Amino acid sequence: MEYTLSDHGDGVAVLSVAGRLNMVTAMRFREVVAAAVADGSTRVAVDLSSVTFLDSSGLGALISGLKTARQSGGDLRLVAPTEQVQLVLKLTNMDRVLAEYADIDAAFPRG
Amino acid sequence: MDLSSPPDDINTVQDLMQDVWATAPNVEMIDRFSFETALVELAANVIAHADAGLGISCSLTVTIAPDRIDAELRDSGQPGGDLDLDNTEMPDGLCESGRGLPIIRALVDEFHYDRVGLVNRWKISRNLRS
Repeated sequence: MEYTLSDHGDGVAVLSVAGRLNMVTAMRFREVVAAAVADGSTRVAVDLSSVTFLDSSGLGALISGLKTARQSGGDLRLVAPTEQVQLVLKLTNMDRVLAEYADIDAAFPRG
Repeated sequence: MDLSSPPDDINTVQDLMQDVWATAPNVEMIDRFSFETALVELAANVIAHADAGLGISCSLTVTIAPDRIDAELRDSGQPGGDLDLDNTEMPDGLCESGRGLPIIRALVDEFHYDRVGLVNRWKISRNLRS
């Protein structure tokens, strides 16, 4: 997994992830989201357009990130999940919990 | 394929599947996604739960037939006990774990476990949709 974290302004961080979000990389993902929220970016847009694979460990990391963001008054939203990621979200009914958006501006509209 | 964890991990299994798919261009994408997701969940479960601290040795065989894909995973880990693989429930809401076995159950047509001597034997099969 590779990632970049960028400040989108207005308390929004964009975490762009590429590769596999799985058992091997899930812990790193949790740490990155937790650090971003601790730094004041309580609204996190996770760009999943380059994620090739999500497993239940990766899903657990997304849920962990969602809880971390919400505990600080923010939110975590998914941007452009790929077909395999959508399959896992739907299968686990987490598509009802983790909101999906077409792009970053749709996830967190600029005020 | 034989693997030992550590140092092998889920990425070793996924790298193998990339090679497998390259030899089977006729398998539809939905079947690839579904089978690989189930296999990764199975291997992750073995690595996470069957290791008594000495590491795990596994043997993985993947077979593609015209109408189905099969995988057999044998591991040297702790016995799986009386697993009821036909009645796995998807956790609700914001639970961060416990979805592995329900995901496998949902993505394959057959899911079996038994203990053969000192080895756990897991089998998954998915009927191809194409």
